[in-house]
Amino acid sequence: MPEFKDEIRKRLEGLSLSPAREAEIIEELSRHLDDECEEALRGGATEEAARQAVLMELNQSDVLATSLKRVEHRVQLEPLVIGEDGKTNVIADLWQDIRYGLRMLARSPAFTVIAVVALALGIGANSAIFSVVNAVLLRPLPYKNPDALVMVWEEATHLGFPINTPSPANFIDWQNQNTVFESTAAMAQSNFNLTGAGEPERFDGQRVSANLFTLLGVKPHLGRGFLPEEDKPGTRVAILSYGMWQRRFGGDAAIVGRQINLNSQSYTVVGVMPKNFQGIPSYDNWNDQLWVPIAFPPEEAASRGNHYLEVIARLKPGVTRRKAQAEMDTIMARLAQQYPEENVRVGIVVKSLHEQVVGDIKPALIVLLGAVGFVLLVACANVANLLLARAAVRQKEIALRLAVGASRSRLTRQFLTESLLLALIGGGAGLLLSVAGIRVLKSFVPDTISQAQTIGIDGKVLIFTALVSLMTGIIFGLAPATQASHFNLNDTLKEGGRDSGASVRGNRIRSVLVIGEVAVSFVLLIGAGLLVNSFIHLRNLDPGFRVDHLLTMKVVLPELKYPDKQRRAPFYDEVLRRVASLPGVQSVAFAGNLPFTYNGDSINISIEGRPDPAPDQRPDVVLRVVSPGYFSTMGIALTQGRDFNEQDKVDSTRAVVITEKTARHFWPNENPIGKRLKPGSSASQSPWREVIGVVKDVRQNDFLAEPKLQMYLTYRQVNSFAPNAVVVRTAVDPLSLGATVQRTIWDVDKDQPVSDINTMEKIVAHAVARQRFSMLLLGIFAALALVLAAVGIYGVMSYSIAQRSREIGIRMALGAKRIDVLKLAMGQGLRLVIVGVAIGLVAAFVLTRVMASLLFGISATDPLTFVTISLVLLVVAMLASYIPSVRAMRVDPMVALRYE
Amino acid sequence: MASPILDRELKKGSAELLILSLVEDRPRHGYDIGQLIELRSRGTLRFNVASLYPLLYRLEKRGWIRGRWVEKAGQRRRRYYRLTPAGEKILKAQREGWREFVEAISRITGIQHA
Repeated sequence: MPEFKDEIRKRLEGLSLSPAREAEIIEELSRHLDDECEEALRGGATEEAARQAVLMELNQSDVLATSLKRVEHRVQLEPLVIGEDGKTNVIADLWQDIRYGLRMLARSPAFTVIAVVALALGIGANSAIFSVVNAVLLRPLPYKNPDALVMVWEEATHLGFPINTPSPANFIDWQNQNTVFESTAAMAQSNFNLTGAGEPERFDGQRVSANLFTLLGVKPHLGRGFLPEEDKPGTRVAILSYGMWQRRFGGDAAIVGRQINLNSQSYTVVGVMPKNFQGIPSYDNWNDQLWVPIAFPPEEAASRGNHYLEVIARLKPGVTRRKAQAEMDTIMARLAQQYPEENVRVGIVVKSLHEQVVGDIKPALIVLLGAVGFVLLVACANVANLLLARAAVRQKEIALRLAVGASRSRLTRQFLTESLLLALIGGGAGLLLSVAGIRVLKSFVPDTISQAQTIGIDGKVLIFTALVSLMTGIIFGLAPATQASHFNLNDTLKEGGRDSGASVRGNRIRSVLVIGEVAVSFVLLIGAGLLVNSFIHLRNLDPGFRVDHLLTMKVVLPELKYPDKQRRAPFYDEVLRRVASLPGVQSVAFAGNLPFTYNGDSINISIEGRPDPAPDQRPDVVLRVVSPGYFSTMGIALTQGRDFNEQDKVDSTRAVVITEKTARHFWPNENPIGKRLKPGSSASQSPWREVIGVVKDVRQNDFLAEPKLQMYLTYRQVNSFAPNAVVVRTAVDPLSLGATVQRTIWDVDKDQPVSDINTMEKIVAHAVARQRFSMLLLGIFAALALVLAAVGIYGVMSYSIAQRSREIGIRMALGAKRIDVLKLAMGQGLRLVIVGVAIGLVAAFVLTRVMASLLFGISATDPLTFVTISLVLLVVAMLASYIPSVRAMRVDPMVALRYE
Repeated sequence: MASPILDRELKKGSAELLILSLVEDRPRHGYDIGQLIELRSRGTLRFNVASLYPLLYRLEKRGWIRGRWVEKAGQRRRRYYRLTPAGEKILKAQREGWREFVEAISRITGIQHA
């Protein structure tokens, strides 16, 4: 019997029908021609004659094509069967693939939901962290040409200050001698008590060089900046922050030109800064609310030993930071020769402003970004696993498509399209998740990160999310797609749809994916474990005082009203007396700068009877001026001698309380009580002070650093360093007493501002906020990865056991015990996990090194963490493979075999 | 066989009606339809493959007939076409139109029904 298919196909060429349609037409027409041919043969024609007769039907060759062309407008009636129809059709194919993909996703909602959730978590976490990185690390600072801005610090590492606030005289010399800066400006923190308009209130502010705002390139929202001539002692002009203007003056536009009362002096408001201007993120956590000209008086301008300025400079065009550093090194070396007393061993550090602002948080953010990348990898592995399992289910469909002429590349494209669709849906859901995530993140981000408020979703975050989604789709889509292209049609057809070579290959890919998932999760868990351990170390640090039940508030006395110790004492005494008698108060004291609220105030001291050391050898001792009762209120243990008391008056012997470390440093094998010391050199005018007591060391400046040498003086015997905080030990919830204590202080002086009402617990929490931030986030991400990995192991085990149920049935029929089957199944899962953990161990050893700067009290290869995490992961993995293994154990041999 | 011109014109005008009529009472495949046309017209009308199938596809596309692959034991499958409800309406209207047309022509040309 002749064959007509080729003849028909020839005539259909050029119609660019979809292959499926073409196949159908060929089938139908050839059937017709066969029928005619048969009839002709039955009628006695020879085969050749019959063939010729039948071909006559087709011989008006263009009739079929032209008539068909009118009917078949290349409509894809059945998108399921796809063939290779050349390059002309890419868009149509894509559209077809997308519709088909969507239908496939809709057809298996459980799969789709699980995959989308996994991807949304992974992508959402990435978008959220990227939004922080974007706001904090990538976004340029809100100043004109911010790359040229640098901070210039003194460096006094030998005193424990790798960067130190410069002194005014040094600053002025730098300003005059340098050739690398376009301009330089100095800033000094200052407190301003605002009185005369409503409640008295204390504001953090700065005295700044008049050119600061010009240097930054920031224009005031209202009014003007400072004029050069205003940088002179005696000018009283102020510029307000937007926030202060809004809150205290109701955003009154007539504020410019008005007089306000600051520190008991009248200042003219000349301008208001714009809303987004937060000041310069500075050395301490300082929240600028207003600015006045720095206007050094002559004696201040000459001061080289007092270090309290912050210096910002703008590099001249073409000058690099390195070149500036080199020139400033030369200048500083000259100043050290000229003024050895103050400047010996003092260096200089030129740091880019950006580095200054983000330096502390950068390592944590980079680790977190890496961590969410890992979470996404685990999510990808999971989805790839799901897709592979589904591809196995879809073997029949794939076989069908290949049979009707779909090319392997076309199939690969179809699978990739499906993966990308999934990734994009996941990405969309992830973006929604990240919106919620960012809200939570913002509350985690320590407020010491000044750009925290600008964290949000912008164009960059959107592009990032889109790119991540696309890459994700390609990554997890590759495995099933390559598997599809290695699909062996013959095997599938021969074996009647049972497991074929393709699924053996699939199993191998799946195993590799699980190993990868376990390894990546392991690294994440190690990272999180190390941070959690560090944080526990941190929280277990003894701050040196009792943190609970302490109420604190700032009470900064205005210098004009309370210029000296004689005039301050009655205020302190009266406040102490009244607050002590309040119900709920156990004790109360005044303190000069509470722990963790201030980084400065240290002085050189000399010891009676000992020669003064060389200037660079002089010990630097942190000084705090307190009231009697401070140690008992704070819960700082007195180990020797006595506390200050009423007897330590202006005219009695000058007393000093030192810490144990100070005692050991100066009098290692002696009793320090009764020994005498004084600030400055022994030749200075100030009187000797007698050691009356020794107290435990307190972590004063930095929670993480070992306590420095410290000493305490009583407020009755010191003129400077006046106490500026009240600390109350309460029997009740500390904050419940806040308003009462504030009112009591106002009863003593109605104009005295009281601010920063807080608990000591909050202050300590704030001191470790960054560590908690990294720990919490990495912990969350590691937990996420662990859950995803567990789901992955579970999925692979379930699938493999379902596939092997026949084998298991045979084993059991041949006498294998259930427990053997359980061992067999679990062994398979555990082997994968152990390989994963082994790889993870090696990777973690290498990768956790980048975290070293985030760790505290443990090394990046802490053995305990490594062992614990390995066990945790093994247990989770065992659980994840136990459940499907139990199912294997329950396989009924008869059922499994009957399945044949 | 009529002259080629008449053949073409008649077929063009009536082909749809013929096919719809043939699948009215039961589904038929293309070869069957072709055979029946030839048989019932006693050889006067004949479709070849190249014109029959495009016509079937057009009718199917308009939704007047619907084709379906049917497999019978021991045979290669064939595509059977049956009339759809929409096709029924069209058939009714076309029959009516054709009847009026033939009557009109007859009245003018004086051709009588046998």
